[in-house]
Amino acid sequence: MILFFLISGLFLGWSLGANDASNVFGSAVASRMVSFRKAAIIASIFVIVGAVIQGAGASHTLGKLGAVNAIGGSFTVALAAAVTVYVMTKFALPVSTTQAIVGAIIGWNIFTGNSTDSRTLSQIVATWVSGPILGAVFAILLYMLLKKFKRAAHIHLVRFESYIKTGLVIVGAFGAYSLGANNIANVMGVFIPAFNLHDLNIGFLSLNSNQQLFLLGGIGIAIGIITYSRKVMKTVGGSIVELSSEAALVVVLAQALVLFIFSSTSLSNMFVKIGLPPIPMVPVSSSQVIVGGVLGIGLYKGARNINFRILGEIAVGWVATPVASGLLAFVSLFFMKNIFSINVGSKTEPGINSANQIAEMMTGGAYVSGIIKYLLLGVLIFGILALIFYFLLERKKTIELQKSEEKFWMNLK
Amino acid sequence: MPVFTRTTKNLILKIDEFFDDIDLGLLVFKEAIKAFLEKDMESFQRHLAKVDALESSADKLQRSIENEMITHSILPQHKAEVTALIDEMDEIIDALKSSLNEFNIEMPDIPTSLNKNFISLSETSVSAAEELVPAARAYFKAPYTVREKLLKVYYFESETDKISRGIKKIIFQEMKELDLAHKAHLRYIIHHVENISDLAQKAADLLSGMAIKILM
Repeated sequence: MILFFLISGLFLGWSLGANDASNVFGSAVASRMVSFRKAAIIASIFVIVGAVIQGAGASHTLGKLGAVNAIGGSFTVALAAAVTVYVMTKFALPVSTTQAIVGAIIGWNIFTGNSTDSRTLSQIVATWVSGPILGAVFAILLYMLLKKFKRAAHIHLVRFESYIKTGLVIVGAFGAYSLGANNIANVMGVFIPAFNLHDLNIGFLSLNSNQQLFLLGGIGIAIGIITYSRKVMKTVGGSIVELSSEAALVVVLAQALVLFIFSSTSLSNMFVKIGLPPIPMVPVSSSQVIVGGVLGIGLYKGARNINFRILGEIAVGWVATPVASGLLAFVSLFFMKNIFSINVGSKTEPGINSANQIAEMMTGGAYVSGIIKYLLLGVLIFGILALIFYFLLERKKTIELQKSEEKFWMNLK
Repeated sequence: MPVFTRTTKNLILKIDEFFDDIDLGLLVFKEAIKAFLEKDMESFQRHLAKVDALESSADKLQRSIENEMITHSILPQHKAEVTALIDEMDEIIDALKSSLNEFNIEMPDIPTSLNKNFISLSETSVSAAEELVPAARAYFKAPYTVREKLLKVYYFESETDKISRGIKKIIFQEMKELDLAHKAHLRYIIHHVENISDLAQKAADLLSGMAIKILM
């Protein structure tokens, strides 16, 4: 039953992987600089790594916004967000998973009579605006640096493009890591207060309850990348490809940096140590940061025809997505509670949790941890096999090319 | 990853080799024309064989460069232009070969008094193509210098036109002793030599656009 409730989170993870992986590798895949197979393998691995290692920061902030304290509530909140994302994507409306989940959590707060922490909410909303702006600033600075380097270094175009190609893979991996670290909060954040799994030890690896949830969410995102992101990368990514390859690299790097900044607790602690205010750990919309980066480069190049429609759509998305998702969550919670009689959570009293809920968490904990253990092993084996398969295919391609070349010239003689 | 494979290095070497073939072909062509005008047919045949070998090597390199760019997805955004540039430059070495073959087969009877003019015509026409090669190399390493290098291509092309017009004027207006068929044959041969600079100009036009695009 516990696993059933996680399905909505995994669905949300799947749609995040299907849509947002294109922000990381879309330009590289659509321009054929990186093959989809390579992109999907790298993105899947690094999304999971980022989610497990660095997913806690942004999840903590979402928890402060509203601690959904029953599995039924977490399921409904995640489902409302996932459905909002799915429907809005279907109607080609710009949508962000972050905004959907925030709206759904507020919907839960209103339904259960919990108050919404206005300080946390304003922090999150401020990041929605500052994320794209920061993306634009980073993109301009990085683009200027890269242009100066290219002019000074006199590198052969073929070599420079090969550096860019390698750079796109490395930056893509970093982008996927940051996406996992920052956006896993959207996927699994609402389940954290309602789950308390046993610690999992597999030799070199030890995962606490939250990390196990993040691992599951990460796998959900990875499945989304592998199964559905090819189409999105080739269509959505194509709109970014209009930029040159170096601009594409810069935009993806800027996006990865922004997402990393808003999910790195150590960076935030460093800021505090040197007397600066801490960085808010908030899930940011990767799509909107990418748009910020593209606009930044457009501004740097002196483009006069900036598409204000896109800017307007983003601004509308800031309001429309959370409102739609919040309303849907509220209505769904009402049905879940009154028609299906499922506990969707209650008003949180600080330090108090119902005995029933704790018993529910602990009995399911060992069982779920066991499943995760085998799932992890399966993912590791699958990953290794996929890598071997990939290298063998690449080798075969090179040998076939050499043979066809030799054959051509032999026939000509 | 491309950085860790030899593909990039090989492709750079092949592109350089291709330009070397064109460069060398132009030098040999000039020598071949001189040998023909001096009636040194042995040297001419040697030069012709050399141009033939260079043209075949350039063809092989052209195919190999295009293949590698496609299979290894190298320069995906500039692939079409680079391929077109290499095609245009290959046309030049093809023209050198076919031009020398015309000399070899048709054995045009060039009056000795026109020797200097013909040498000047071939040198100027070849110079246009010679100036194109460094510009094409610069596209890959310092694209912002391409356009200034191309100025010389345009200059030599217009000089070639002037010289060609001058020779034709001499043939058709001053050399009354030549019959019309002979005059027409000489005009045809002049056109062949002049064609090299025209092809260089065509490639220069393409290269100029490519340089602007890459700098944007």
